Amino acid sequence: MSTLAKTSAPSTGLDPKQLRQYGAIALVVLGVVLMLFDNLNLGWTVVGAWLGLLVWQPYHAILIFYSLISIYPVLRVISISLRPTSGLLSRSLDIIPPGAVLTSFSQIFNEEDFVLWLWNTFAITVTVSIVGVIVAATGAYAFSRWRFPGRRPALIFLLTTQMIPAGMLLVPLFVIVAQLGLTNNIAGLILAYVSTAVPFSIWILKGYYDTIPPDLEEAAMVDGCNRLEAFWRVILPLSTPALSIVFLFNFLAAWSEFLVAKVILQDPNVWTWALGLNDLIGTFNTDWGKYAAGSVMVTIPVLLLFMWQSKYLISGLTLGGVKS
Amino acid sequence: MEFSGLSGEAILNTLGLIIPLLIALVVVVLAFQFGFYQLLAKAFKTKHALPYTLLAPAAVALLIFMIYPLVFNVLLAFSDLKRNTFPCYSPVLRRPADLDCSVLYSPEYAANNFLSVFFRIRNGEISRDSEGNVQLGRLLRTPDSTFPVLLGRTAVWTAVNVIFHFVLGMALALIMNQKIRFKGLYRALIVVPWAIPGVIVALTWRQEFHAQYGFVNALISAFGGQPISWLDDPTAAFIAVIFVNIWLGVPFYMVMILGGLQSINPEYYEAAQMDGASAVQRFRGITIPLLRPILIPAVTLDVIWTFNKADLIFIMTGGGPQESTNILVTALYNAAFGPAATSEFGFAAAFSIIIFIILFFFAVIWITTSGGLKEVYDR
Repeated sequence: MSTLAKTSAPSTGLDPKQLRQYGAIALVVLGVVLMLFDNLNLGWTVVGAWLGLLVWQPYHAILIFYSLISIYPVLRVISISLRPTSGLLSRSLDIIPPGAVLTSFSQIFNEEDFVLWLWNTFAITVTVSIVGVIVAATGAYAFSRWRFPGRRPALIFLLTTQMIPAGMLLVPLFVIVAQLGLTNNIAGLILAYVSTAVPFSIWILKGYYDTIPPDLEEAAMVDGCNRLEAFWRVILPLSTPALSIVFLFNFLAAWSEFLVAKVILQDPNVWTWALGLNDLIGTFNTDWGKYAAGSVMVTIPVLLLFMWQSKYLISGLTLGGVKS
Repeated sequence: MEFSGLSGEAILNTLGLIIPLLIALVVVVLAFQFGFYQLLAKAFKTKHALPYTLLAPAAVALLIFMIYPLVFNVLLAFSDLKRNTFPCYSPVLRRPADLDCSVLYSPEYAANNFLSVFFRIRNGEISRDSEGNVQLGRLLRTPDSTFPVLLGRTAVWTAVNVIFHFVLGMALALIMNQKIRFKGLYRALIVVPWAIPGVIVALTWRQEFHAQYGFVNALISAFGGQPISWLDDPTAAFIAVIFVNIWLGVPFYMVMILGGLQSINPEYYEAAQMDGASAVQRFRGITIPLLRPILIPAVTLDVIWTFNKADLIFIMTGGGPQESTNILVTALYNAAFGPAATSEFGFAAAFSIIIFIILFFFAVIWITTSGGLKEVYDR
């Protein structure tokens, strides 16, 4: 059902649909003509074609434009990672560069500690995600099903934690870690990540549990389950979408966290990939090829995971939000 | 045996840290939960023993890693913790003989730390210029990096970002809610910015705004425009970071709003159309009110996230050029850990508390006036 205005032009005798088609064709032609006058600059044709599409199929034109803006940086990184060393700083906008090679990919493995960075990040991230989901899943269940004293202040506190500036936790955490001589220890980083991930996870999971009717557990308890068994056998399986969202969020947050890691992990042997790649194009270094190759390898798996989960993404975040 | 820095020893080291950590966590948590439950149920006979027990691990984690650091942060604001006084405050580090550690925490330190955020402090007093006006404190390297300037810039940054996120996200969601082809494909492509790790987003866009090699300027010159040195010009750099953050935030709104739109019963629109309501009337009368439970928490979270968005700016510009892209949180990070940091952690703690208070009051006012979070806890 449409919520936008249906473009219904007043009847002037001409069919508006046909009028739009003529307009579209005129714009495409205009783009081609401009290109011929401006040293065969292909840009004009592209603009003309897009404007034509905008007149003919406005929704698709807008969505195509926005989709391109969304993915263009990704395409660019892929393109740079394939460039031969001589063309790294070229200004070309080609997606597949001339003379595409995989040199940058072999360089980042051979010249940098890329696999070590990945391993460190992976170890931290997986631990954080699993622990975070377990801690939040039971906590959110308590918030959803019981009205206990202190529930409201606790929920408001969870919201408040979202407002804490990173620096506000970072300063004391760094001082504590440094006081105890524990810099460069990933265990501390894991625990810090878990506790920053828990409030948002509880928030989302509670919203989701709220949409599951309590009758389901009551039925299970009549059949002889106790409360925890009912939670384990009925609620958790039904909450798969929300659980995977929470897992994904915690995974993504920890996978690419930068500021806390930069302060706590100073020894290159415990660096995460974010610190490593940042160092590759830091002040004294501009290894665009290696950086781009590393980025591609770090991003593609996450991107696939995200797209595969994007069906859950919508239901997990908003289910129970709208009552109509 | 070593491959790209990864050796068997490194793997064992990491696993040697993580596996004991996990085992200890499981054992400690389960034992603690069991004991806690017995205590509540048997000794206190409360009927809420089970929910409290289920919440206990989260509560303990937050207590140790959130509440304790926050309390410690307040304590830090009462301290004179700097690089040279650091050993005074540490139980492990060795103290040099000539270091005076007699007073660790005092209200004078606190007054100095908090006042330094706003004013220039000399010999423990607010310094004044020749005409007797108070001098504002400079928080970063440039003279105009004072608190009011940073606060104003943070307000602009937050408002512009949230408005664009909202408008673009809403527009895209409304379009995507129509009957069009390739919907799944568009959705998958539009959420891409959300899925890319933040560090890569920041580093890649920094390169794309490069005056010589970036594609933004390549695109401008392809249409005959003058290239702009994006990251060297204060205004252009601020526009660049805002652009990237808008690009980052739109998918979140689109996904949230689209989910909400899809759960609105189409009969409402049919009925309204039959009564002769225009598209704008339908949007204002049906869509917006029914989306409220989603829009208000989304905007609330977005304001907070944008206000606190430090990593993007820090990686893209480091707050430069001439400290012109610093918002409050990046100024805090730069003051505590940045390249020119003076490591005055007492001052940084006071600064962070003031930032938090501003955000907190803003959020309280917003939440109470919009009333939108009722949904979250009143069910």
